[in-house]
Amino acid sequence: MKQTDEQYRDLLLEIQQVDFVIIELNLYLNTHPHDHAAIAQYNEYVQRSMQLKKNFEAIYGPLTSFGYSYSPIPWKWKDAPWPWQV
Amino acid sequence: MHTFRKKYRVYASPCDPCPPMTRKTYETPPQLYMGFQPYGLPQYPPAEALCLGTLWPALYAPYQNPYKDKHGKGGGDA
Repeated sequence: MKQTDEQYRDLLLEIQQVDFVIIELNLYLNTHPHDHAAIAQYNEYVQRSMQLKKNFEAIYGPLTSFGYSYSPIPWKWKDAPWPWQV
Repeated sequence: MHTFRKKYRVYASPCDPCPPMTRKTYETPPQLYMGFQPYGLPQYPPAEALCLGTLWPALYAPYQNPYKDKHGKGGGDA
């Protein structure tokens, strides 16, 4: 992967933004377990996050390791940059 | 009263070898005044929420360095 791949960064950023909403809603729902609208929003964002990650991994390889992501052939996990190095 | 930062005066000994800090400040973020967070508060869009560190405008609390003067000088960072 080239360092200058803008799409790589854009897609990662979008995942980060959606996952942040999930974290916030998760913490909120811990104390508000009966807020149905928030639960619906949470589930919507979970679905979006899963779609974004699936799409990202199809293009750039696994986001996580140890059984949480599929790998293409050849084994791609060892290739830099890892998501947290971007 | 809802302010992000409150001040208090501290005793300064006349024998203090350093220039005394007569006022100290501390953060009072908005959740202290909110009590139980109400349902259905307005939200930031995801991109903005990530940058501001909260999903809800009512809980946004920017950190301002109390040791910087109004010209942005001092405070110990580079």
